[in-house]
Amino acid sequence: MEYVLNQLINGICQGAIYALMAIGYSTIVGVVGMVTFTYGEIMMIGAYGAFYIFLSCGNNILLGLLMSFGCSFVLCIAVYKLCYERFFNAPRHISLLCTIGFSMLIKNLAQIVFGPETKSMLNIIPNRIFTLHLGSVAVDFRLLQIVIMLLVVFLALMLTFFFNRTRAGIALRAVSQNKDAAYLVGINVRRTALLGNCIGCGFGGIAGCLLAIYYINFQSYTFGSFSMKAFSASVLGGLVDLRMSALGGLCLGIIENLGITVSSATFRDVFAFGFLILMLIIRPQGFAVKKGTRV
Amino acid sequence: MSTLKNLWQKKRWIFWLLIIALLCVPPLLKILGIYKVKALYLRYACNIMMYATLAGSLNIINGYSGQTCLGQAGFFAIGAYTCAILSTRFGVSFWVLLPLCGLASGLIGLLVSLPTLRLQGIYLSIVTLGASEIIRIIAQTASITGGAMGIKGIPYPWLFGLDAFRPEYYYFIFLVLGILFLFCTSRILNSRVGRAWISIREDQVAAKSLGVRTSFYKSLNFVYGAFWAGVIGCAYAPFVNFIESSQFTTDKGFDVLAMIVIGGQGTLVGPIIGSAIVTVLTESLRFLGVWRYVIYALIIIAMMWLRPQGIAGATNSILAGGKVKRKPQKRKGAAA
Amino acid sequence: MSERENRPVLLEAQGVCKYFGGLKAVENVDMQIREGDIFGIIGPNGAGKTTFFNMCTGMYPVTKGKILFEGNDLTKLNTEEIAEKYIARTFQNIQLFRFMTVLENVKIGCHVQTHSNLFDAIVHSRRYRQDEEYTTQKSLDILKRIGLYDYRDVKASNLSYGMQRKVEIARAMALDHKILLLDEPAAGMNPQETQSLMEFIKQLNADGFTIAVIEHDMKFIMNSCNRILVLNFGQKIFEGTPQEVKENREVQEAYFGKGMVAGEALK
Repeated sequence: MEYVLNQLINGICQGAIYALMAIGYSTIVGVVGMVTFTYGEIMMIGAYGAFYIFLSCGNNILLGLLMSFGCSFVLCIAVYKLCYERFFNAPRHISLLCTIGFSMLIKNLAQIVFGPETKSMLNIIPNRIFTLHLGSVAVDFRLLQIVIMLLVVFLALMLTFFFNRTRAGIALRAVSQNKDAAYLVGINVRRTALLGNCIGCGFGGIAGCLLAIYYINFQSYTFGSFSMKAFSASVLGGLVDLRMSALGGLCLGIIENLGITVSSATFRDVFAFGFLILMLIIRPQGFAVKKGTRV
Repeated sequence: MSTLKNLWQKKRWIFWLLIIALLCVPPLLKILGIYKVKALYLRYACNIMMYATLAGSLNIINGYSGQTCLGQAGFFAIGAYTCAILSTRFGVSFWVLLPLCGLASGLIGLLVSLPTLRLQGIYLSIVTLGASEIIRIIAQTASITGGAMGIKGIPYPWLFGLDAFRPEYYYFIFLVLGILFLFCTSRILNSRVGRAWISIREDQVAAKSLGVRTSFYKSLNFVYGAFWAGVIGCAYAPFVNFIESSQFTTDKGFDVLAMIVIGGQGTLVGPIIGSAIVTVLTESLRFLGVWRYVIYALIIIAMMWLRPQGIAGATNSILAGGKVKRKPQKRKGAAA
Repeated sequence: MSERENRPVLLEAQGVCKYFGGLKAVENVDMQIREGDIFGIIGPNGAGKTTFFNMCTGMYPVTKGKILFEGNDLTKLNTEEIAEKYIARTFQNIQLFRFMTVLENVKIGCHVQTHSNLFDAIVHSRRYRQDEEYTTQKSLDILKRIGLYDYRDVKASNLSYGMQRKVEIARAMALDHKILLLDEPAAGMNPQETQSLMEFIKQLNADGFTIAVIEHDMKFIMNSCNRILVLNFGQKIFEGTPQEVKENREVQEAYFGKGMVAGEALK
């Protein structure tokens, strides 16, 4: 019982990171209208950015997060220019393959530049454990987990504010719903799409940094499977719906961690993908209420 | 010139025989001891033919029925593992295993296709990708597949009493499989079934209104593609003699996808060209280490920019988008 | 009139409704298309004509009511099943296989009349050879009839608008069903083309096809149809012969508004 509860806490925490990844991913898909396979590399750059900040400026978490956001943001401009801008009206598989190519490029360049060895982020957040006694069971919370959850909630609220209250955010929503109509009312669609894409990627970068802190060790190819998780979570939420994607991410995190209580940790991905496929069989549109956004 | 063209149209099989005969020359030179072709080159040739067939099987799904399957590595793995397990544990003959592995893989293809029937576009991609990952992870952990250690010592097939251990013999296995695949596929594409597939790719609503049972034909398409991936997986396992789960990652699936896109989706020669280019490139740049993947990635991106329909693809096909060409004009208009 | 009453009913709608949420796109429409009819369906934009067609061919599920073909209930069948057995149709916004040649387009139309499977194709069995011969022969025949024989190897997207419409009709003919549903076949055609299309449709009708047609071109409708159904805001407001439709007050009001002397415009 205690083990299951603790796993649930782990699951929620991991789910929170997944939710952040999914929010970023859905932002990209919503604004650009195409899926991306470079997301893992975006997260990787975020993690490396934070790593070098921690190395040079000490364990300043705020600075690290800013740096990871910035790195991913900048990389994303390249992704946008290379993989999306030219292919807005082309069949989808073209930009898809372009992102696959770009992902390969960055992954291998990173191995050359940063080296293949494992990097670790130790003690970014002090390793304190709070124990909550619920009758006879004791549930452990790590400070790290609490910080991550709060951070994700804060970022999600920020993004909601941005989308609903700012001029750029409203333009972004317009672009994501109908590009031609957005053109007609005088929105600079290309620039707006670029901005949306970069913000989504920036969130991905932060998620990458959080993942690296959470797992302590990371390598250049660690993030490939996480990008699949972001993709899955986003699909669960109907690809363009931010709230539902976040819910999808949370669900994936919890199911993975509960799943490995009954089997071994290697089956983590099997639970995630199995849940996704099952869900899509039952409800092809995912959690999303509306049907029919064909992306 | 016109007589040649005439001959091409009437007696096409003569040209095919000629090409096949030419393809048979290198290993025969070696077998008959006329000229010592390097074994390494023959292995490359085997690889090219193998990937050409594998890419061809993906091309059936992606290129002809317009579904975006990203999980071909999974079907490939099913074939390879079925072959490895049955031949090492039960000593089943390779020739029996070939169709058997195809069927096993086709069955999995059917299972994957069932949920995807209601899905479209990217949803379908993620399901195939997820299925491929699940297959790989199970192969990585289950005891019957040797876990992370993989399966070693897969027996070589026997060919007329000859051990096909050497690449010059294995060459023929891949050649025959490749030709068989091309033969069956080209015949199917010129039939009612092939037309139904293509109609689904072009316009699903219209296809439905003409009485094409789209779900059935999409499923059939998946099964057929998976079948050949399984067959070629079965031939692959003894060829490398040792298989483990890391040979079937999603990256492998992406490689195969890159082959068909570079070569040209929806054409029969496309996958062959793509396979040749990618294999030759990655093998000949081996001395560059990690840099060769960088170059490979750059080529993929460049290809998408310059010729998105692939080398063999027609400019005016639905897969080229038709719109890509008009893009620059539109951009000028938008800027003005 | 009485002559028409003697012919058997082919396609019948009984109190058919279609609601999209709160929007009543089609409300309680009855219709009987009899064998040998050229049945026109007219109405202002948004009257629910295409929605009605889509229900007949199973593209939209019917909210209420029944659609029968020679007594068989179509309401529960899906598009493919209906197309396989009963009804062939064309689309308002042309849905051709644009990157295929005209001949290939029509060949796909022969799908439901042929039965060869994967293995027939691989071994070139007798069934395959019969099917292929049938398909090619039939497609070429249809193309000759519709006057597109010379364009058989042209990509469909390279044809003019009017010709694309014709290819779509040819494709629907290849299904070999008794009834053809044409959704605005004359849209985008010039007067000459419309005229020749009209004659072609009359010819088809004489050859035994029953035809239901949605059209905005009044000249076309009045000159070719023998029975007209008028829809407005999803409801049937009138059904009758062209002459009766012309003279009906309600129809005039639907088209021109109340209080307008509209008789001349319809002539």
